[in-house]
Amino acid sequence: MAILEQGLIIGLMALGVYISFRIVDLPDLTTDGSFALGAAVAVRALVTGIPAWLAITLAAIFGAVAGSVTGMIHRKFKVNVLLAGILVMTMLYSVNLRVMGGPNLPVPRVVAEKSTQSFEEMSGGTGLEDLFGELEIKTQGRALKTGSVVKNIFNNDLNGSDLLLIIFIISTVIILLTIILRSDPGMLLRAFGSNPSGIVAFGVSQDTLAVVGLTMSNFIVGLGGGLFALYSGFSDATIGQGMVVTGLASVIMGEILLGRVKFFYGLLSPIIGGVIYQTLLSLAMRYGYRIGFLASDMKLLTAVFIIVVIGVRQISTSDGKRKVKQEVKRLWSNSKISQ
Amino acid sequence: MVEFKNLTVTYNQGLENQKVALEEVNMKILEGQFITIVGPNGAGKSTLLKVILGEVKPTEGLYMIDGKVMNNMKPHKLACFIGRVYQDPNTGIFPALTIAENLIIASKKGGRSMKFSKVKEEAISLLANLGLGLETRLKTKAGELSGGQKQSLAMVMAILSRPRLLLLDEHTAALDPVSAQKVMELTQRINREYDVTIVMITHNMEFANAYGERLLRLIDGRVAQDGVRDLKTKAVAALC
Repeated sequence: MAILEQGLIIGLMALGVYISFRIVDLPDLTTDGSFALGAAVAVRALVTGIPAWLAITLAAIFGAVAGSVTGMIHRKFKVNVLLAGILVMTMLYSVNLRVMGGPNLPVPRVVAEKSTQSFEEMSGGTGLEDLFGELEIKTQGRALKTGSVVKNIFNNDLNGSDLLLIIFIISTVIILLTIILRSDPGMLLRAFGSNPSGIVAFGVSQDTLAVVGLTMSNFIVGLGGGLFALYSGFSDATIGQGMVVTGLASVIMGEILLGRVKFFYGLLSPIIGGVIYQTLLSLAMRYGYRIGFLASDMKLLTAVFIIVVIGVRQISTSDGKRKVKQEVKRLWSNSKISQ
Repeated sequence: MVEFKNLTVTYNQGLENQKVALEEVNMKILEGQFITIVGPNGAGKSTLLKVILGEVKPTEGLYMIDGKVMNNMKPHKLACFIGRVYQDPNTGIFPALTIAENLIIASKKGGRSMKFSKVKEEAISLLANLGLGLETRLKTKAGELSGGQKQSLAMVMAILSRPRLLLLDEHTAALDPVSAQKVMELTQRINREYDVTIVMITHNMEFANAYGERLLRLIDGRVAQDGVRDLKTKAVAALC
């Protein structure tokens, strides 16, 4: 059950990758940074005492801002989208450390409702009035109101009790996305991904669509990051590492499984792919040691999987098949000569 | 409608590989004209179209529409009243969208709040006139169509977007003779029935002779010939 829950959250993040890579056709690498930003913002918000629902909303909004920055760097400064993504991702590493105030931050169970008091409250006067140190600082008897519990939206008991909530969130996102993609602006977004230069001919600015597409994508990635942090109980500076590749692998796995079935504009494929990816990951972690496989090898395997799928797709085109046949023939004739 | 005054376009200005693509071009395109532009490769034909579309900015001279200077106008703003169809059938359509969705985008060009239901009948009759059976396949993805079908769809989209000026860059070059003929007939209909000014680049002299009422020949970035053609005698009376 925990695998399913985690897989669904990874699938949600992959949905963001699906929007950038498949729908608007912009290979966005901001994902690694915006996922971690979502996680950092959500946990920091919770630590500050902000309700969990608001915390994940903030995570999504901050992710969206990161995406829009990438979009603007890409379009306004004519920077390649890959480089723009890398720049923002690098910036976000520092930003995330600042947001968390350190390399990691656990989700609090109990926090002080008011852990600090201002100078005015302690001294009964402003700093200016205390220029000569005449005011008596009342540090004695300062009562901290502790014990108010910040309620996490997840139970974190790994027995499947969070499953319904996760499914509810993902369904809401998919329904909203379907409505958006079906609307006129959404149609323009899909058209932009299908033929970016063609959209200009119909009086629509490419800049706007690219920024909107990347904003949408990273909104979902940020939301995924926030949920992942609340679900796992912590946020970490390296939590987003390799998320683009994980997301892409999930998208590809989902597409292979669903084939040409394109309900909801194919939005289900990354979700299903995410669950499969997480299942494979946990199987590898549980049984992989028997064949000398380490959990840390998973990222290597994921990237190799993507390369293999792309390679197979390339070869399966008729042109590719012809080239492979020619190559095999050439090698065959060469080997005969060498004999 | 469109006017060029001493229009010069230089690529890579100031660099070693500097190239003058257009040199002191002076011409007027009048409302409703059907102009064909011919000339060898590298003569500046496509650059001229790119200037009209705002994709290439003039290095010197003026590009005006209705007397207003458009030298620095953004391409998507100019596109509000200029349509275009290129040689590659995939450039004028959106392959991932259905035929119906392609038509909807065309009918809402430039943020027009036109309801598709208002133009649906016209779109279907235009598609039916082409005789390709596209009108019955509105839910088919445009990417699944053949080259000729895609180009025909692009032309229908161009009509629905109600341009004042339609730019065609070898739009029949990738098509078989039958499809090319059909697309050319549709092009002429757009000019006559919808009163759309057409500027067409072609290497096909047969089409240039048969359809263009004014012929512009570019050589090395300069206007070598500009004349009104008598479509019956096919003789070109020089304008300049």
